[in-house]
Amino acid sequence: MRTHWRLSVAILIAVGLTMGLGNVGEAAKFPEKPITLVVHASAGGGSDIFARTLAAAFEKEKLVPQPIVVENKPGGSGAIAFAYVGGKKKDPYYLLTAVTSFLTTPILRKSQVTYKDFTPIANFAFDEYVVIVRAESKYKSMKDIVSDAKANPKRITVGGTQLGSSDSICAYLIEKAAGVQLNYIVFNSGGEVNAALMGGHIDIAVANPGEALELAKANKVRTLGVFSEKRLAGAPDVPTLKEQGLNAVYVQNRGLVAPAEIPEEARKVLEEALLKYTKTDVFKKYVKENMLSEAWMDGSTFGKWLDGEHARYQEVLKAMGLLK
Amino acid sequence: MDVFQNILMGFRVALSFQNLLFCFVGVTLGTLIGVLPGIGPVTGVAILIPITFGLNPTTAIITMAGVYYGAMYGGSTTSILINVPGESSSVMTTLDGYQMARKGRAGPALGMAAFSSFMAGTLAVVLLTFIAPPLASVALSFGPPEYFALTFMGLTLVTSLSGQSMLKGIMSGVFGLIVACVGLDAISGEERFTFGNIYLLDGMGFIGVAVGLFAVAEVLVNLEEPMEQVFVQTALSLRTLFPNLQDWKDSLGPIGRSSLLGFFIGVLPGAGATIASFMSYAMEKKLSKHPEKFGTGIIQGVAAPEGANNAAAGGAMVPLLTLGIPGSGTTAVLLGALLIHGLRPGPLLFQNNPDFVWGVIASMYIGNVLLLVLNLPLVGIWASMLRVPYRILMPLIVTISAVGVFATDNNIFDMWVMFAFGIIGYLMRKLEFPAAPAVLGLVLGPLVERSLRQSLTISHGDLSIFFTRPISALLTICALLSLFAPVVRAVWQSRRMSPMEMKP
Repeated sequence: MRTHWRLSVAILIAVGLTMGLGNVGEAAKFPEKPITLVVHASAGGGSDIFARTLAAAFEKEKLVPQPIVVENKPGGSGAIAFAYVGGKKKDPYYLLTAVTSFLTTPILRKSQVTYKDFTPIANFAFDEYVVIVRAESKYKSMKDIVSDAKANPKRITVGGTQLGSSDSICAYLIEKAAGVQLNYIVFNSGGEVNAALMGGHIDIAVANPGEALELAKANKVRTLGVFSEKRLAGAPDVPTLKEQGLNAVYVQNRGLVAPAEIPEEARKVLEEALLKYTKTDVFKKYVKENMLSEAWMDGSTFGKWLDGEHARYQEVLKAMGLLK
Repeated sequence: MDVFQNILMGFRVALSFQNLLFCFVGVTLGTLIGVLPGIGPVTGVAILIPITFGLNPTTAIITMAGVYYGAMYGGSTTSILINVPGESSSVMTTLDGYQMARKGRAGPALGMAAFSSFMAGTLAVVLLTFIAPPLASVALSFGPPEYFALTFMGLTLVTSLSGQSMLKGIMSGVFGLIVACVGLDAISGEERFTFGNIYLLDGMGFIGVAVGLFAVAEVLVNLEEPMEQVFVQTALSLRTLFPNLQDWKDSLGPIGRSSLLGFFIGVLPGAGATIASFMSYAMEKKLSKHPEKFGTGIIQGVAAPEGANNAAAGGAMVPLLTLGIPGSGTTAVLLGALLIHGLRPGPLLFQNNPDFVWGVIASMYIGNVLLLVLNLPLVGIWASMLRVPYRILMPLIVTISAVGVFATDNNIFDMWVMFAFGIIGYLMRKLEFPAAPAVLGLVLGPLVERSLRQSLTISHGDLSIFFTRPISALLTICALLSLFAPVVRAVWQSRRMSPMEMKP
């Protein structure tokens, strides 16, 4: 009898493990296959570099037992990638890069897929923005720009990449804070904007500090101000716009999201691995070299942050006249 | 001189065993990537970024640069053999290259493509070595009005790509411009002709359209022939495989001119190898004593665009290395790779990392030699592929094209675009509309539109901006001359003819 009793307990436990507690067993194994990290932009851009640096660090440090495969799905300011990953509901094997366009594109395009169709996983850093002019420019500070813009409305040309993009929002924030009007010229890429600035074809540009300070060191451009709350650690002599009396503060986030309704266990595994990633030398080096600001947010904090930003973008884009 | 010391130092870096090995790996991969349609140098270099992560930066960039210019060599292969442009920059090579293949001269066409690429590539590196910094400042003097004038001049080239009927050529070009209107408005971001389809937001994929118009249309036309036929029945011998003396005489001039033109266009950010190949082809046609022979399978029609696209790849390295500004899609990825490897591209790169910069430049001399050595033996292998019967070759072409087009952006929609344009291309062939002007319109349309609107936004609608700046004024006048020259010539000739006709 005793042995029978033992046997039935063993069977019960075994059955219990395979049935009721099966989910736990499964989740503990996540990931069982490679994870696809979808980049919403083309190879070589900021998000692509972010994704590939992350994938390489995961491989090197073995942060999860499976590799992360980067896949570029460029097009439609992210719309194609959002629709693609958004359609993978419940599948934790897909991740998506989420920057400004993750919020702005659905607002501008009134698309079916919005940020609510994703599970926020984590945010890593903020991209900063600076105002630059060419070395020969007559503008020495933001004050010069503002007073000139007041005297000559819509005459100062500012180069950017797209209406509704981060740089256009920055330009709008200057206009709003100073009560002036600038002339926004759209280029194909940030590289072309910088070329046009150095060639003297446009007056000012909004750029990321990484590229801008490299040009500044070579005396090709001057950096007049940064859109952050505090001065940047990597560029302590560049004043903020706020210090110069312009209430214009802006950052772009760098985060990752997954499809909606993924298993909670999988979300946790990803979140923990990504937190470990932010402690690696690779990530520290990435942040320093690209002059980003570290800004870790776990899934729920990131989700709340996205809610707030979504409302803010809706308001700004409407004020810019881009929503009908 | 300083430059010589620098380049010697560069060769010391580039000739190390590891760098030599990876240069070879890069150019070999590049050739393969070039041969496969769709998977262009942009994708090729991007794939290599994580793989080269463990290498030192110089070796990594040497490998990736090798992929870049290697792809320019390989891109001509399928253009010539089966009318499938491997990259956008080898569309022009299909025009005469494929006709040469049909006449049994695939060997000389492939051989000349390799030699032309080698000479243009090498010339571009020489120019990169000696005049990169001053050239960069010339590139900066190109603002929106100058780009408009340049691309507008490019559009007027439709007249020289037209073939038999000027009217049909212009209609085809306008068709290309209309297709180019699909997608987000470049300035306002408004959606145009997208019908709510997100895959149309960035417009019709260029590779899909080009492969459809050329390759798929060609297959459809060939379906009307008996299936047992093969392209070339003539036996291949060493004499028919390589360009003969006459081919060389015909090609040297075009190679020299197109290399220079291609290099300078490559230096301009945003212009690139595709436009360079279009312009060089049109230029050679204009300069030729027998312009009517272009498009019928003459060697100049292969030598010129192949020289131009390789030189442009070298030229695009100028703004990248001197200013940190990518001049093309591929150099944008290279820039990303530099950042990942912890190098800060910018004006200080030459000062701060001279061994890197000169090592990469020196490796480009070596890479071009490797590519020539690698590609010449392949000519025979590729050329014998044409002896495969249609019934086997045709499905293969369609499959390879479909996979390649899909792989460009990992997008199945682009494949449907390809098939749709295959049918359009077939109808155009039947009605004798040339396809090249449509592709030219599609490539230049967005550039012309953007630069025109940028200029007019800067000038607040004042057209004089195109005439008050020297470079822009010169280019605009050239464009207007090129546009109206045929009309003026016709009027002038009829005036001169009429008194003669009166006499008898």
